[in-house]
Amino acid sequence: MHKNSYVFFFAAVVTVTCSLLLAAAANLLRDRQQENITLDIQKNILASAGIGSENGQQLERKEILDLYEKYIRSKVITRSGEEVSDKTVEQLDPKKDTNLLPLYYAEDDGQITAYIIPISGKGLWSTIYGYLALASDLNTVKGITFYKHGETPGLGGEIVKQWFTDNFKGKKILSPDGKLVSITVVKGKVQEKIAPDEAYHYVDGISGSTLTGRGLNKFLKQDLETYEPYFEKLRDQKTE
Amino acid sequence: MSDANIAAENQLQMKPKEKLLSKKNKRILADPLSDNNPITLQILGICSALAVTVQVPTALVMSAAVVFVLTISNVSISLLRNKIPSKIRIIVELAVVATLVIVVDQILKAYLFDISKKLSVFVGLIITNCILLGRAEAFALQNKPWPSFLDGLGNGLGYAMILLIISTGREILGSGTWFGLHLIPQSFYSAGYENMGLMVLSPGAFILLGLIIWGQRMISKKFEE
Repeated sequence: MHKNSYVFFFAAVVTVTCSLLLAAAANLLRDRQQENITLDIQKNILASAGIGSENGQQLERKEILDLYEKYIRSKVITRSGEEVSDKTVEQLDPKKDTNLLPLYYAEDDGQITAYIIPISGKGLWSTIYGYLALASDLNTVKGITFYKHGETPGLGGEIVKQWFTDNFKGKKILSPDGKLVSITVVKGKVQEKIAPDEAYHYVDGISGSTLTGRGLNKFLKQDLETYEPYFEKLRDQKTE
Repeated sequence: MSDANIAAENQLQMKPKEKLLSKKNKRILADPLSDNNPITLQILGICSALAVTVQVPTALVMSAAVVFVLTISNVSISLLRNKIPSKIRIIVELAVVATLVIVVDQILKAYLFDISKKLSVFVGLIITNCILLGRAEAFALQNKPWPSFLDGLGNGLGYAMILLIISTGREILGSGTWFGLHLIPQSFYSAGYENMGLMVLSPGAFILLGLIIWGQRMISKKFEE
């Protein structure tokens, strides 16, 4: 039998050794992980706007960087809908610049083909992060992606799957009289739950993850509302 | 040099009388592959075996992670076996396993980002995989590092083998591909063939695993009533 003092000593040695190992691993790999995360975000922005991934094939590192460079632009706007010219999206600090919002847009031959906003909020277990792309009419959804979440794999985790995100394509965020209604994930199938003339505001739910869907509805609406002042201005400019 | 000479030299280098791959050691390595497979006989590690086997690449990476963690944790625990106070041995085993798993997770995030996203929590859940703690408790604590290494490797490979068989079945039947390559020709689909959606879901893995266990017990004639 070992003495108690030895037990404490041994536990301390194990703890220190393990933490040193972990700290070393985390530090050595941090840069590359960060690079992967940035690349993944760019890939998701591209995917939400429907650029380069029509067949669902995997893009190479270089392709992602090239496509992103070619099509995606960004600017900073305020919550009241003004454009900010002296700051770029990269300089935004989410903690300090609470009044400023990043806005990405896809540009092809001088024509804006999609507006892309970051969306995030609580699901059931975790904060979900993603991007929502609207077509140039600022009403039709072009695509949605989620790139980070901690929902249950196979249930809430299904939000990242193409069958779910594809449901959002072509849905409308505005009612016919121009009010923002956002898009709602229903519990069950849209066909069975919602009248056909309203179906364009709703998408099929995932069975077994009603609460993830509810969280998604909430933050999707909130995020669209924060961008609405700016989008409203853009829409007005277009109709004039 | 004749085989006998090599064997003799090996014996000289290795102070203990045992050869590196003696009969006993070979059995330590080979048993978990068939007669004592951790998944099909001991029914351990089922959770991850079901979760990551929709496609072969994820199953392969998961298997590699388990082989790596299991081998190294077995060796390190075996090296420490006389030092570990028995009062805290489980938590020490867990600390060793957890450290290795987190290191593997970090490496995957840095070098195989897409697959690590698909594996999501299941790499982290290797920590709670019963195979690891089971081998540490049942084998590494009582045996020398070399047999422990073989035991870890054998059990890891036994786990990997079943994962690869299940994922091969699931990917081919469920998605018509293997390693992302299209196996089922387009003419089949035109003729009305459809991918089995069931295979992509967890019940598909259960069914395949059940069939494998059945087949294995039919052949080995080992039954537990």
